[in-house]
Amino acid sequence: MEIVDTYYSKDEYVETASGNKVSRQTVLCGSQNIVLNGKVIVQSGAIIRGDLANVRTGRYCVISKNSVIRPPYKQFSKGIAFFPMHIGDHVFIGEGAVVSAAIIGSFVYIGKNAIIGRRCTLKDCCVIEDGAVLPPETTVSSYMRYTAKGSIEGGQGNPYFVPAAMQDEMVNYTKSFYEHFLRTPAPAS
Amino acid sequence: MPMENNIKILPKSVVCEESTLRGDITFSAGCVVHPSATIIADAGPIIIGENCIVEEYATIAHRLADGASWDASNILSIGSHNVFEVGCNVEASRIGDRNVFESKCFVGRGVTVSGGCVIGAGIQMRTVQVLPENTIVYGQQALQREAIEKQGSQTLQIDFLRKVLPNYHHLRKPNYDPKKARSVV
Amino acid sequence: MSFMQPSPVKYACSCGILNPINKLFFCRHCPKLRCGFCVCHEIESHFCSNCLENIPSSEARHKKNCCANCFDCPCCQHTLSARATTVPVVRKADESKDGGESGSDAAPSPKPSAMPTTKKMYYLSCLSCRWTTRDVGIPDQGVATGTWPDNECLYQVRFNTLMEYYQSVVLQEKQEKQEFMRRKAPKQHKFPSLTDRTGLTVSLIRRQIGWNDKSIPKTKPINITPAEASAEVEPLSEDIFTQPINLRNVTTVAQRHSQPADQPTAVNNLYPQRRSLWIKRSLRCRHCEHNLIKPEYHPTSIKYRIQLFASYHVPEVVMVRCEQPLQPGQTNAIFLKFTNPTMYDMTISILDAPPADAQVNMDAFMQGCRIKEEAITSSPLLKATGVTLTRQNSTREVTREVRDLANATIVPLDNEFVLSQRDDSKEFDEDVQAPIEEPKFIVWRKGNKVLMRLQFTPAAELQTGDEVTLGFYMQYTYVNTVSNTPDKKEPTTHALYSRLFIQAGEIAQGTAN
Repeated sequence: MEIVDTYYSKDEYVETASGNKVSRQTVLCGSQNIVLNGKVIVQSGAIIRGDLANVRTGRYCVISKNSVIRPPYKQFSKGIAFFPMHIGDHVFIGEGAVVSAAIIGSFVYIGKNAIIGRRCTLKDCCVIEDGAVLPPETTVSSYMRYTAKGSIEGGQGNPYFVPAAMQDEMVNYTKSFYEHFLRTPAPAS
Repeated sequence: MPMENNIKILPKSVVCEESTLRGDITFSAGCVVHPSATIIADAGPIIIGENCIVEEYATIAHRLADGASWDASNILSIGSHNVFEVGCNVEASRIGDRNVFESKCFVGRGVTVSGGCVIGAGIQMRTVQVLPENTIVYGQQALQREAIEKQGSQTLQIDFLRKVLPNYHHLRKPNYDPKKARSVV
Repeated sequence: MSFMQPSPVKYACSCGILNPINKLFFCRHCPKLRCGFCVCHEIESHFCSNCLENIPSSEARHKKNCCANCFDCPCCQHTLSARATTVPVVRKADESKDGGESGSDAAPSPKPSAMPTTKKMYYLSCLSCRWTTRDVGIPDQGVATGTWPDNECLYQVRFNTLMEYYQSVVLQEKQEKQEFMRRKAPKQHKFPSLTDRTGLTVSLIRRQIGWNDKSIPKTKPINITPAEASAEVEPLSEDIFTQPINLRNVTTVAQRHSQPADQPTAVNNLYPQRRSLWIKRSLRCRHCEHNLIKPEYHPTSIKYRIQLFASYHVPEVVMVRCEQPLQPGQTNAIFLKFTNPTMYDMTISILDAPPADAQVNMDAFMQGCRIKEEAITSSPLLKATGVTLTRQNSTREVTREVRDLANATIVPLDNEFVLSQRDDSKEFDEDVQAPIEEPKFIVWRKGNKVLMRLQFTPAAELQTGDEVTLGFYMQYTYVNTVSNTPDKKEPTTHALYSRLFIQAGEIAQGTAN
């Protein structure tokens, strides 16, 4: 299906110089530690905890409504430390997802209401289904699909679970999502 | 009926201003409440024990039963060293010590949670039951097993958060000093 | 959104199965669509999905396709990770449990002597169900990986002897068959051999030199004792009816199946299992033996060495919306977006029936490609002996009829339209369109995309809630850039066609009329 145009009102979203479209109803803690690399959409209700550690996003990412981006922590004998979080380019994070991964590669699709445990590693071109729960410290390698049942399946070259042209599909999807996310045209006076 | 908020925060607690608190709530010493947390005391006061962590989008609710009204003696007493992770929704009638409620779990009103339990991520507990001590509820089918090892303590995390959160957030000031409490009823 | 729901537009593959375009590949040599079902899957490399280590295939076979370092939790089948505790090392090499994660089964220990050196001991713990190796009594190891003891299966020795026995049986049978074939059909040699000319045989020469006779030792299978069946079974213990079961100590069926060697019934017999390896695979067209996709060898790389996806060669059709709510028998129009992914302009026409002249073009195309095949087997010697270098097609290509699911009639377009080539630099241009005469059915055109309107009528006998499916043939021009012929040919243009089915949606509640 083709993406339809979604409109947002001018006072709801802030558009930065590098093309990021950030809603005013998000909770961006520690915004000086959050780096959005350009053409990133952060929809309303999202929480990005930059106060705990640095969060860095790539280009053309989409962080949907009510999702929580939280840097992971690691417990040492002498205390805990929150680790910086790196998200790659062209990543789609679905609504309501709770993401505590340490590294998210590029071209990743995270479904809605997914729970990514702390310090997980999501490599490039993987798919996390809607409602999936990843236990902490799991690694999902490239072209693998993590199902809602908790199993990992797929592999590069396997056309059944993750489309083989995942990179191009995510690029098209996030780019067209960004292009169709438009400001309501001002009414002609 | 509208009730005024009566929030008592003991010293050494860190409660962010952006959290939603409603009703008669008492935070014991050392609690950490992240922004966008929600604590609702509809049916009676809530007393949260020491060193609890309530993360963002977590909801702790003491809901009214059908036909009941606010009762000052119906206290939901939450034990110490509990962790309420992101997005969890807890309406249990009694909560003990050292429990962990992982992300997006739902604990209904009929559940009594004892001590040392871990409710896994995304698990919904709706039926009336009593969870024995040291139970771990895990997996997609919400299987239960008994933990032989004790869970790790959260004091290191609480110390860190207590240092970091004041730098970035407005906090509600502690307003209740137990030493002076004798004069106030 | 697009990953969780199936796409409404499906292409018919050459084997007859309908697939959305992201599951299809395009073979350039027999210009046809191929899907995952009609290609050969070949293993490219093995790797562990947890530690992302590439394992050579011989080592993988030796280790029974299991990773050396990673373990699965026997309780919930997720990955186990190593946790460290510090333990003070006592001079007498007794250990006392210490550290933040204290176990409840700490053994009573003598007082540590005056050397408080600490050592790191590791145990495996699962982070999703919080199972640890200490729960079943496996002692902590000094090294995080590599020293975890394997659970020995009770019947391992018997399995090994059975396997050796059957391997020798197979070898003996193969030798007998070779002997038989040699005696039955001796090889015809073209040239006179040394024996014919001089009368010397191999065995004579060997005896002269002093070597023993050349004969392959016949392997005899080792005798093993066959398994004896016995009807004696242990009687059921009496307290099975009286003893209350603690369900927390009983393993689930899934836990037993994941540990097939001993299938424990009690929770304290669960043992961590080694993690299986995953593969990267390459796909090969069965018809012409060319690779369709070939990934990179390294586990973390996402690139492909060869990538012949359908979305790179075949125009992509995306359904935008239907103009009106679907009613049986009522004319309706659907908006379709066509995208041209190639570097050449493409002419597209939509037809009701397969074009007649397509078959002729196909044969000419195949002829052009077959020249390459001839070059390999040009050596006359090989031809004479009948040996072909191309691999025998072990699996025949099974063609099946495409199930015609269409239950709506479309109005084919009067004329064809042209999609301009894909040009990435045009993305940044403002779209200044020179007003050109466009056919009426094109709504807008931008770069290599066109949105057009197709009229159709759902069949009159459909009920509310039925799925309306449109089917049509899309003919498109394809420029063949395969340049492996000895004489440099210009890229030729061919008209290929694909059969598409679009699920337009369900019949809405009918209005009373």
